[in-house]
Parts: sequence; C-alpha cells; structure tokens
Amino acid sequence: MTDFDAGKIAEIHEHLHSHLPSESALRVKALETLLVDKGLVNPQTIDAWVEAYTEEIGPKRGARVVARAWSDPEYRKRLLEDAPAAIDELGYLGKATAHLKVVENTDTVHNLVVCTLCSCYPFSILGIAPAWYKAAAYRSRAVRDPRGVLAEFGVEIGDEVEVRVWDSTAELRYLVMPQRPAGTEGMSEDELAELVTRNSMIGTDRVLGRE
Amino acid sequence: MDGIHDLGGKQGYGPIEVNDDGDPFHEEWEGREWGIAQCARTPGITIDWWRHCRELIMPIDYLGRPYFDSWAQTDFSTYIEAGWMTLEEVAGGKGGTDDAAHGEPPAAMTLQQVLQEDHDHAHRFDGDIDAAPAFSVGQRVVTASHGHAGHTRLPQYARGRTGTVQAYNGAHVFPDLSAQGIEVHQHCYNVVFAASELWPEASGSKDKVCLDLWESYLSEA
Repeated sequence: MTDFDAGKIAEIHEHLHSHLPSESALRVKALETLLVDKGLVNPQTIDAWVEAYTEEIGPKRGARVVARAWSDPEYRKRLLEDAPAAIDELGYLGKATAHLKVVENTDTVHNLVVCTLCSCYPFSILGIAPAWYKAAAYRSRAVRDPRGVLAEFGVEIGDEVEVRVWDSTAELRYLVMPQRPAGTEGMSEDELAELVTRNSMIGTDRVLGRE
Repeated sequence: MDGIHDLGGKQGYGPIEVNDDGDPFHEEWEGREWGIAQCARTPGITIDWWRHCRELIMPIDYLGRPYFDSWAQTDFSTYIEAGWMTLEEVAGGKGGTDDAAHGEPPAAMTLQQVLQEDHDHAHRFDGDIDAAPAFSVGQRVVTASHGHAGHTRLPQYARGRTGTVQAYNGAHVFPDLSAQGIEVHQHCYNVVFAASELWPEASGSKDKVCLDLWESYLSEA
C-alpha cells in the first residue's frame, strides 16, 4: 500500500543513487526481473504495451483528427468545442486525453505546447513524446523564449503573429491544430493527413506541405 | 516543492536536440520501462504522488540520467515504499529473499486488451463540488507568491504574477492533496499571462503564456 511518505522516498532515491547499476538497460532489467519473480507483472503484457505504442498509437492519430477537421467544418466545430468526444468518434480517446483541448493556429496566432513541471503529453493521439519535448532545454525555454525555440526548429514567426504558449500544469492536454496549407483544396482526407507533422501538433512546426 | 523539476524559465540548458527520427523508443529498455509503468502500479497510488516521487529524485540523477531511466527510478521508489520490494532485493538485483512474496503472474494481456485498456484509461479528473467558482472569465487574478515543500502545480516562474482568467475548466482533483492520497476537487481555471508580466526581456512583446491553475493558487487582483 502506498504510504505517501515523501521523506522515505527521498531516502530511497539516495540509496538507489548508490546501489543501482549505472547502465539504464540493467536498471530496467532488474526492475522487470523483480516484478516478474514476484508475480506482479506478466512480461507479455509489457510486450503488448510496447507494441501498442509502437504500431498502433502515435501521431498518425492526431494527423487524422486534424485532416478531418480541415475537411469537415462540422467535425472541426465539434473538435474545438469538445475534443475528447470528437476524438472518440475516431476511437482515439484514451490515455491522457479525457480533458483534451484543441487550440487553433491562425494567420495571427501561433500555439506552442510544453510541460515545464514534468512531461505531460496527449498520449492516446500523439503516442510517445519526442526526446526533445521531455528534455530540460525545451522545458525551460519554451515559456521564456518561444520565438528562439521556434527558430531552432526552423520556424520563423513574424511580428504580426502572437505566440501563445500552453504550459500543461493540470490534467488538460493540448493539441495544436495547424493551418491547412494553401493549394490543398482538392485533396482527400488521407492526403491531407500525410501533410500533418507531429511537431505541428505540438507547435514546433507551422507551415505544412513544403518540400 | 522548489525542486530541480520546476524548469520553466531556467537558463543555461543549451540548444534543443531538434532532430528526432520519430521512433517512440530508441533502445529496448525504454519500451520495457514504458510497459512496466503501464501495468505495475501500487495500490492507492495517484498520478500526483508518482509525479512527486519523480521530483524527489536527486538533482544530479534527475538532470543527468535518461528520461525513461527516471521513470524506472520513480517506479523503484514507489514499489519499495509500498512494500512490493526491498532495497536489499534491488541492490542484489534479484527477488528471492522472501519466498512468500512470489506469486503466479497475472494473466498476459493481448494487444487488443491493452488497446481497450488505453481507451478505458481516459480518466477524468473533474467532479461536482458545492462551492461556486470564485472567479469568472475575464477577471484579473494574482497567483500565490510562494509554493510549499510538497507537490504543487504552480510553477515558480508564474508565482506572484497577475493574469486574466480566460476559461473555467470545472472542478478538478487538487494535485497538492492528491499527492498525499487525498482526493478533493477544486475549481480550476486557465489563466493567461502576458509574457512581459513574466519575463524582464519580454517587455513590449505581444506573446502570452497560459496555465491551468487551481483556485487556491489565485486571489483577486
């Protein structure tokens, strides 16, 4: 049973600092071995979770949501009003998306999502977050120097555009809806989905469909 | 707590590694740890307690070790604290000091079952409370000047600052108490701050920073 004893946890971390093997692979191997030996997990269930987030759940889901919103004004309206219900229409509701909000880029607004306190991310529609999203460099600077961060990603933001940074401090999660690129009027939803990058749904990409 | 995890606005962490191949896991152990974190949770644990346990990792490890490695260490700490395993077992690298603790593993879940669980894990954190919200959309609010030694979701960079309520999110589980195992709902708002209110170098900027904040973090401005 969990005791919620922070002092004890701090002590445990000191011990782990000294006694765990230094190689990450060995640490995780030790963790899995202990859990399996004790009958607390089934390794095949771990296999299934890895497969789910490698083969099934990932940014293709978010791209589908964005492409549908671009193609179907009624869907777009539902998505902006009640994103969890709208993504559930596609079967994508899940881990960390029960309080999803979609924020829309326009000619004068660019949205950027970060979690400065940990690494909150809308797993069930974007999958596992990229390494940079979870690293100190991005988490520290996205709220303070968003234009500098965007420039590092090759995204230039004009003076006429307001940058809105969303720091994921509660259980709400944010998905950026990028702007539909010009010249894509005749494209099908499938073709449009191909244009939507993962970074554009976090906000570190802006103009889509360029070679 | 004013820990190393509270990174917003800190300087000196260098350029961002923007190149990413899009693979969810780059080493096998990262995927194993992801899977473990999904299916091995101690009874009574809350997401806020787990986050606090990660915040309590020594700063040298928090900053110096790979991301999923910090998840593994967080899991170790919660398992040891809850009595699932001992420090001696962990240091020895093997379970086996206590035969009674050994049991049959739970049944294996298939991919379809895991996908269903992911869908069912769309956990909601909002609930009804009697009190009416103290603030309304459009109202100016000022954030608390200080945090406390426990888990909290008001980052240092946004303390003692004035912003505007731009949305009411409903009453959400209050993380500061949830990290102590106490589930209490409290009104939660999205508050928008001018970048110039937060950062000296942002004077004249039109940019904004938006945070979801609980009512007890806020006062009328």
